[in-house]
Amino acid sequence: MTERAISDAVYDELVGILGPDGVLTGKSARWNRTRVPAPFPVHRWHEHVPDVVVLPRTTEQVAEIVRLANRRKLPVVPRAAGTGLTDGATPLNGGILLDVKRMNEIREIDLLDRTVTVQPGLNMLKLNEVLQPHGVMFPDDPASYPCSMIGGRIGTSGWSLIGARYGHTRDLVCSLEVVLPTGEVVRIGEGGGRKVRKASTGFTLKPLFFGHEGTLGVVTEATLELVPRPQAEFAAFFGYRDYDTAWRSTGALARSGFATLAGVVLFDEWKLAYLRRDDEAYIEQPDWLKSVVAVAMYGNEAEVVPAAREIMRIGRESGGTYLGDEVSQGDWAARHDRYAIPLHGRLRSGEVVPMSWHCEDAALNYSVLPQVHEEWHAIADRYIERYGIFDDWGIFAYTNGAYKPWGDYLVEIDIGIWEQRLDDEGWAAWLNCKREITEVTLKYGGSISACHGASRAGDVDYVPQELGGAFDVMKKIKRTLDPNNVMNPGKYLLDQAYED
Amino acid sequence: MSSDESTEAGDAQREFVEQWRDPAYNCFSSGHKFCRNVCPVMQVTRNENHSPTAFHANIVAMEQGGLTVADVAEDYVHCTQCGACELRCPNTLMAGDFYRARTRTVDVVKAMRALAVESGLEQPNWKRWVEATVDRKNEPVLDVPVSQENVAKWAEGLGLEAGGETILFVDCEAAFYRTSLPRAVALILRAGGVEFGLMREQWCCGGPAAEMGYVAQSREFAEHNVADWRAIGARRIITLDPHDYITFTEDYPRYFGPAYEFEIVHITELVAELVRDGKLQLSKPIERVATYHDPCRLNKRKGIHQSPREILRAIPGLDFRDVDHVTQWAYCSGAGAGLSIERPELTRAISGQRLDRAAQLDVDLLVSACVWSERPLTEAGEHREPRIEVRDLMELVAESAGLEVTP
Repeated sequence: MTERAISDAVYDELVGILGPDGVLTGKSARWNRTRVPAPFPVHRWHEHVPDVVVLPRTTEQVAEIVRLANRRKLPVVPRAAGTGLTDGATPLNGGILLDVKRMNEIREIDLLDRTVTVQPGLNMLKLNEVLQPHGVMFPDDPASYPCSMIGGRIGTSGWSLIGARYGHTRDLVCSLEVVLPTGEVVRIGEGGGRKVRKASTGFTLKPLFFGHEGTLGVVTEATLELVPRPQAEFAAFFGYRDYDTAWRSTGALARSGFATLAGVVLFDEWKLAYLRRDDEAYIEQPDWLKSVVAVAMYGNEAEVVPAAREIMRIGRESGGTYLGDEVSQGDWAARHDRYAIPLHGRLRSGEVVPMSWHCEDAALNYSVLPQVHEEWHAIADRYIERYGIFDDWGIFAYTNGAYKPWGDYLVEIDIGIWEQRLDDEGWAAWLNCKREITEVTLKYGGSISACHGASRAGDVDYVPQELGGAFDVMKKIKRTLDPNNVMNPGKYLLDQAYED
Repeated sequence: MSSDESTEAGDAQREFVEQWRDPAYNCFSSGHKFCRNVCPVMQVTRNENHSPTAFHANIVAMEQGGLTVADVAEDYVHCTQCGACELRCPNTLMAGDFYRARTRTVDVVKAMRALAVESGLEQPNWKRWVEATVDRKNEPVLDVPVSQENVAKWAEGLGLEAGGETILFVDCEAAFYRTSLPRAVALILRAGGVEFGLMREQWCCGGPAAEMGYVAQSREFAEHNVADWRAIGARRIITLDPHDYITFTEDYPRYFGPAYEFEIVHITELVAELVRDGKLQLSKPIERVATYHDPCRLNKRKGIHQSPREILRAIPGLDFRDVDHVTQWAYCSGAGAGLSIERPELTRAISGQRLDRAAQLDVDLLVSACVWSERPLTEAGEHREPRIEVRDLMELVAESAGLEVTP
């Protein structure tokens, strides 16, 4: 059968830590822990396969694995659900794939101080099923809510669809336990507190471990913030004849100042065309509609009911047409389900082919959205025209802090890519397309990524440019914490930290 | 393996990949993995290469030359063919009917298991089980004498004849092990005025063999049974096991094509109708606190979830605490598709989890409508404190109808 890709000595040591059931050396186990949903050079899959997969259950097991890796200078790549869109959990240099799915315990539910302490392999939907009878919830709500996991949310510093109301992942984690690259186990929080939300003792280290994508260690436990389940929800969809009016209306809604506003989302004409494609669950909207703005509010009835009236007034007065209760209440689920339908892919000729979803998710200021919107579509169009394996699935923008008038936006262009037809030329073209999109982002003062991370091939080339001197600080931190470069080596160009 | 054999195996794999690569890519390219959290096996093993999405990704990897059937055959043991993954898939939910692209993980698993058997990669316990079934013509139900002489022993003293337009097909587990169930069904049908007979010689339906990848054996059994049905003039087949229902409505039509002329009825649908029409009176109260276990092959695979609930609500005295059928997409007994034969420890863990969910409702009775689920669920229920009894819906119906089911 399959030859083992690691030495007997390493295998024996890993089995000593985890037992035979926790160490997988078979080819299918390794190949299946390579891919994440982002388009992938399928024809070069074999280049990204780990040498061994481990399935720990405890922090101590993780620490022992990392100590072993550090001693033997073997790469370790942590992986939670593997639903991230930036290849964070894809091994670049083989080594040990550390899969945390068996670390899925809820350790403590503290209803007095309103926290829950969990292991990183737990999924948010599962957690909220357990929390529901207590009247509280963990309000982290990514599009991948039914399948992504806490560890990955922290590793990529995830975005929450209701984050404008409750905060994003990084705002919702009080403290976390991390196994550092040399195997020490530390608690990182505000000061030294486990459940304290704000302190000013020492450096604020917590943000360092959000978005590190496994390059600074492995999160083995997190204490999360709980909020009361909202009494009331309100959703409204407004339709527009053109993008500019919709954009101005988005700004007016976002500046309304309501703390109950959980999100304002702006869909453009391409996005609507994508959603309209043969989607059986899509609620039909009139043909004149070129742009849609969706608003959601969550909170107590005393807050939401009067605020909803005001939001309806602002939406209409800024040029929106209310699309009715059926669409407003029925289509909100689109956020969780609709981005993963490969059959919505179209070639330039109109032919339907299954495509994978890729998104460039820049953080941009409100003022530049129309220009970026125009330039991104022009780039996508050139590549669609020339290569025949791409499709433009539209742009949407989402507020980051609606009650703050200076709040920036997650702006995402979704591009379909026909991976089955990839070869080296197609892959190179794809990376160039992403580079061009990224250049536009930086030209308008944005950040490469609002929520997925910028460690993907193509995007990552621009990280030193975006961060400037801060990238040198990143390298110093990486080298200090990970002297042997064992944690997810190759990611974020951090190998440069070890070049003399 | 000789070079001829190895070329043959290579051809079989190439043909398989050719057939399945596009459907597999439809899953592979779908970014999300919503299936994973409803998969009963994934819920207990937490091992990604047991997940429905891995079953599709493997085929894409095979096309790329990275994996062979030998690398993946064992992974495909880890499936109960419950169908939850197919329902939860965004492709099925959003665009499935339009493109006829409903995700077909169950078919993929069956096909890969068949390729494994064809390639000489057999699972030891399935192999033994299939050999014994071929030998005895019925499934080798544990610790009881299984043979054609005993296949209708459950009906002793009931005066049932062979033949007729309507045939009651009693699956192996019920015929040899849980005989109280077919006896209850026979009495119910008689009380409801349904005329029915038995087969002259009933072999295993062949469904489990097909689920494990032994297609030729499955076909042979199907051909025998259909010949028997035709010989006795049967038009309508009543099944009391959801697995038979799937086999007769999905596998058999594939084997026999348009010539397959039989109406297949599941007992829950028929009994719900008898109760609705007043032909069967449920008047004797059953003072129990109960919940219902949706058998995967009724609810998830066939969309039958209303009739059993209708029946339960008609039983007087029963405090029925329901869990809606969509929530039950994530529930399974773990007994299906041969998992309990090759990985009994996983079946036990999945059944244990199912009983935990029942216990949250403070019930003392878990009602199922799938005889194959009842052995592992019963065992899991007996090991709990307080104990939760597991009974078949038809046993409850018989009791409430005042029918005395003697063993």
